[in-house]
Amino acid sequence: MKCLERRSILGLAASVALAAAGLLPGIATAQDYPTKPVTMLVGYGAGGQTDLVARGAARVLGTQLGQPVNVVNKPGAGGAVAARELTQAAPDGYTILFHSNAVVNAAPFIMDQVNFTPDDFEYGGMITAYQTGLVAHIDAPFDTLTGFIDWAKENPNFAYAALSSEARMYMDTLADANGLEPNAVPVQSGGEMLNALLGKQVVVAFSGGIHYRHPDELKTISATTTFRHPSAPDVLSIEEDGYPIGMDTRTTLFLPKGTPRDVLERISDALSVAADDPDFKKVTDGANIPIMYMNLDEASEEMRSTYEKNKGILTDGS
Amino acid sequence: MEHLILGVGDVFGGTTLLWVAVGVSLGYVLGAIPGLGKAIGVAVSIPLTFYLEPVSALGMLIGIAKGSAAGSAVSAILLNTPGEPSSAPTAFDGYPLARQGKGQKALKMALFASVTGDFVSTIILILLAAPLARYALLIGPVELCAILVFSLVFIGGLSGNSLTKGLIAACFGIFFATVGLETETFVARLTFGYLELEDGISLVPMAIGMLAVAEMVVQAGNLNTLDRETANLRDSSDPRDRTVTQDELRRCAPVIARGTVIGTAVGILPGLGASVGSFLSYGETRRVSATPAKYGTGMIEGVAAAESADNAVVPSSLIPLFALGIPGSVIAAILIAAFILHGLTPGPLMFQQQPRMVAGLYVSMLCASAILLVIGLLGQRLFSQIVHVPLRLVIPGVLLFCCVGSFMETGSVFSIYIMLGFALLGFLARKLDFSFVTFLIGFVIGPKLELSFRQSLQLLNHDASNLLAHPIALLFLFAALVFVVLSGRATARRSGQTPPTTQENCNPKGGNQP
Repeated sequence: MKCLERRSILGLAASVALAAAGLLPGIATAQDYPTKPVTMLVGYGAGGQTDLVARGAARVLGTQLGQPVNVVNKPGAGGAVAARELTQAAPDGYTILFHSNAVVNAAPFIMDQVNFTPDDFEYGGMITAYQTGLVAHIDAPFDTLTGFIDWAKENPNFAYAALSSEARMYMDTLADANGLEPNAVPVQSGGEMLNALLGKQVVVAFSGGIHYRHPDELKTISATTTFRHPSAPDVLSIEEDGYPIGMDTRTTLFLPKGTPRDVLERISDALSVAADDPDFKKVTDGANIPIMYMNLDEASEEMRSTYEKNKGILTDGS
Repeated sequence: MEHLILGVGDVFGGTTLLWVAVGVSLGYVLGAIPGLGKAIGVAVSIPLTFYLEPVSALGMLIGIAKGSAAGSAVSAILLNTPGEPSSAPTAFDGYPLARQGKGQKALKMALFASVTGDFVSTIILILLAAPLARYALLIGPVELCAILVFSLVFIGGLSGNSLTKGLIAACFGIFFATVGLETETFVARLTFGYLELEDGISLVPMAIGMLAVAEMVVQAGNLNTLDRETANLRDSSDPRDRTVTQDELRRCAPVIARGTVIGTAVGILPGLGASVGSFLSYGETRRVSATPAKYGTGMIEGVAAAESADNAVVPSSLIPLFALGIPGSVIAAILIAAFILHGLTPGPLMFQQQPRMVAGLYVSMLCASAILLVIGLLGQRLFSQIVHVPLRLVIPGVLLFCCVGSFMETGSVFSIYIMLGFALLGFLARKLDFSFVTFLIGFVIGPKLELSFRQSLQLLNHDASNLLAHPIALLFLFAALVFVVLSGRATARRSGQTPPTTQENCNPKGGNQP
């Protein structure tokens, strides 16, 4: 507590000095930041996996910034409602959004109403990655993507569970390249997807990572990311199997366009502490969500490059 | 076994019991206030769970779920404003009872039914979670689709006075449920460019508007009549009207048992939900009754049927979570987050890794049932006084809570607009005598039926002969068909030979032999 007080006194002294020197008041506030509680929007309802990671991160951010970080759930349209609200917030660092970057680098290519670009936001860093992949029951007669494709050629009209447009895109790409005939079974939640897999109603499914909760019953066939999953390091990524369609999704701190760089740096540094925080790690380990920290510049670069890449993948031919 | 003893010690030795009691009380009060519900309880408690012991945190969340399921009967009975659709059948007979001065009787019966359903379902969770959950995995989309068809046939009997108007209302319900992203192609349906509608019309503000706000508006219209009634309304001088009599307990015992079984079964199955449970139980109780026409005028059995099933759903919907790690309900999904928060993996591994904690959780769930009984009895004395308060003082408060409840769901004013829109629809439905119950059924079951039907088409490879590999589905479809044919024939016979007496006298066994 004492150290916090000293910090705020120092900050106050600094701002007084700066104000006295007649510098821009904007810089003074950025130096001070934060002097009041920060609101952290989350684009999913309370109690989901992203919400969980967000609350874990908010706790560390609050300690680091010396001000409470209050989580406010604004569910709707996969986070697009929350992201839109952020674009209307003041660019002062007191309203931030913790969400999957898919809301910017995938949603615009899937949803008509969403047309964000990476330039609509500033980024305070990225903290975790989703282990999205193609998953099968442990009893399935294949272990790899090539094994699955060979099996699927022999077994047309097999059923797979698809939770999102991305899932259908992956399967359609594999089907087009190999002449497969899949039947897409739409599911509406991760729980339904697990049900269909464990009950063997479907042969494979695309998972957002929650299947790692069932290591004895489910296996990962292919990581649909550019990296191999830390939870299954022996499973090849879909890119290693020759399909350049890996799409990474990461939890990202979004800020309104025009937020001062000082504020972004302050948040980015605070987030880097979360990456090494044992309590935060306990939460993410329990949920099988690997921590892959990126600072503000890396996050911004990641956003732009994946936006271009996903645009090519998701809008190709349609 | 030794873990169980340790678990008992953990629960009674520490502050766990206190937090469970806090959860149950909070849930009960929130449930009893029209418009508020477990959504708010959960929003309040999630940040708290960061700082609590795992068993305390989980016990509190489960307590909120149990408490609010039971508490919602209070507003349904006393004010005819069910907080959640699953309590709507409670109001059918509970509110007439309250207007007859038998509010305390109805409240007590609702509480007994809730606690019984809750307790038995909790015991089933503890003893049979693993085998039941394994069996439930056999229920895939194809079977679920058949079960939904079967349920619809049963619930269809709740359509009110006019079948045609009931069907029209149901179609409206299905229509409004189609708003939002289509599940297979992800095309937005009927959103008119509103991002807020992409996920569909949210159930909570819709139900609050339709059930609570509309009812308040109607009551405001009858203010003088109702207030005059209230002034004359004394709790009946006959003490038998204030408590549940031996005779009623005997009559309701099989009803509660059936409601518990239905609620437990519905809870285990993926994606059905508490509303299906309470509607099914009420519909079935009315169907087998000797006097089905009396339902809706203050039959205590109706209250018992709806509430026992409503509460039995809560623990049994946790069975897939405990046994397999699959969230079967909203509260289960939130519990998963609480598990993970404390470094636990929900699912079968839990029993090996943390047997003592699981035992503690079981003990606190059982305690929650007992606490519910106590809190309910205490709370009812307080809440039942509301019938003596003039409505002009009640209505503004209720409307405020309705707005708060709608807002809390998504944290956006848009939900209040949704609430107001459906309040208008609910008002018109009441004035024009369209059944808002069939509207709700259409809204809740319609999309589930659509989804499971489309899933089934893909799983069956668009070939009906593949159904032969799904005997459970065939069984339910066959049962639904038989039921429709039999009840159709019974209706035809009844209307063919109806003497000019009242409907219920012409064929006393009509309900028993559909």
